[in-house]
Amino acid sequence: MRPFVNTFLTCLLALLPAAAWAADPPRSIDVKHLSKNIEDVVVPLPNEIFGALNKLDSVNWKEFVRTNKGTNFTERPRIALLLGTVIADGFIAVQAEDAPSVKEIGQRVLSLARGIGVGNSIVPHAKAITEAADRRDWPAVRLELDRTQNSVQQAMNEVRDEKLSQLVSLGGWLRGTQVLTAVVNRHFSTEGAELLHQPDLLDYFQRKTSNMPEFNIPLLGQIRGALVEVKPLIDVDKPISAASVKRVNEITTRLDEGIITRK
Amino acid sequence: MRSSSSITFRSAGLALALLVFQVAASRASVDDAHSFALQSAEPYVKEGYQVREDYWGGDLGVGEKKAVRQQLFKGNDYWFWMGTEVEPAKVSVHVYDADGKLCEQQDSWQKGHFAAAHVVPKGTGSYFIIVAVESSPEERTHWALVYGFR
Repeated sequence: MRPFVNTFLTCLLALLPAAAWAADPPRSIDVKHLSKNIEDVVVPLPNEIFGALNKLDSVNWKEFVRTNKGTNFTERPRIALLLGTVIADGFIAVQAEDAPSVKEIGQRVLSLARGIGVGNSIVPHAKAITEAADRRDWPAVRLELDRTQNSVQQAMNEVRDEKLSQLVSLGGWLRGTQVLTAVVNRHFSTEGAELLHQPDLLDYFQRKTSNMPEFNIPLLGQIRGALVEVKPLIDVDKPISAASVKRVNEITTRLDEGIITRK
Repeated sequence: MRSSSSITFRSAGLALALLVFQVAASRASVDDAHSFALQSAEPYVKEGYQVREDYWGGDLGVGEKKAVRQQLFKGNDYWFWMGTEVEPAKVSVHVYDADGKLCEQQDSWQKGHFAAAHVVPKGTGSYFIIVAVESSPEERTHWALVYGFR
């Protein structure tokens, strides 16, 4: 999430009298009068979704832990996507309380961040991740993973690489969605499937990825196409079906393979 | 000619320095507001809330409101904390669901230049967080909003 004013919807709630608001907030507002612009929506951390999922069902997180070092890319957009995915893997390893994997992932994040020139900003976080994993202090590891992602993105924003920063978020979201759908697909529940109801985030990523003409990589084209395909499956007024969950899992698994391997 | 160039150069330098100072001052104030928002969140961290590193911030006039739309997940428990460095100011934060219905918990609070809204989402989806500066001695009041979940 980028700080400051551009993270906001620009509209004012002109229809709400200030005095009345100060005394007691209105019980309802007309959301149609709010701007539809959600350009700067905050992308949830993967563990925000995993935490909600955990409350519905017991999940064997160990089977989703992934530490393989994957391919080394030279294209910066590919590194950014992979970086987001690997940070999401860090959150999965924390869910599994797998200290060695967390430490390995911390080093991998550092190496990828160096690959796009923002390694210095996360050296202290990588160290903190290792130390917290040694202590098995999982809340501290989660906090450091969030700080890592934030520092990487701030460093990118400072050098006007906002689009790479958005790809980091996208990589993390795709990996989180892949794991969410894998879990729900295995033991389907309407409540689990409801966690996929994220139409505004989908809109956000669609808008962002359609505005990256300088990143001429086939994978980005595949992601754009996939987002179009996913939208009608999760942007529904009725409960999200088991078939839709399965389909979203197939799509995100395919994209994940594309992100971590050279194809 | 030489004298005129020198004056122009110095004026431009002064203007640039002023601009840099203004930008730095503006940034510092939002950073200060952020510190106050985090201060509000501090006690909740001990209760297991993970406070996000990212935050929203800016400045508002008295009576002015802004909205941000945020994805929340059913099953989680969220707090949104708002703060400003302008101590005599009064700020507020409230949360509405996608249908525009106020959906915060009773323990949401407002204390001068701090405010917080507690949400336990009944459904997964988009929510509207509305922030406002109710009163302030400043023409524009810097503010920041952070959120946490567990």
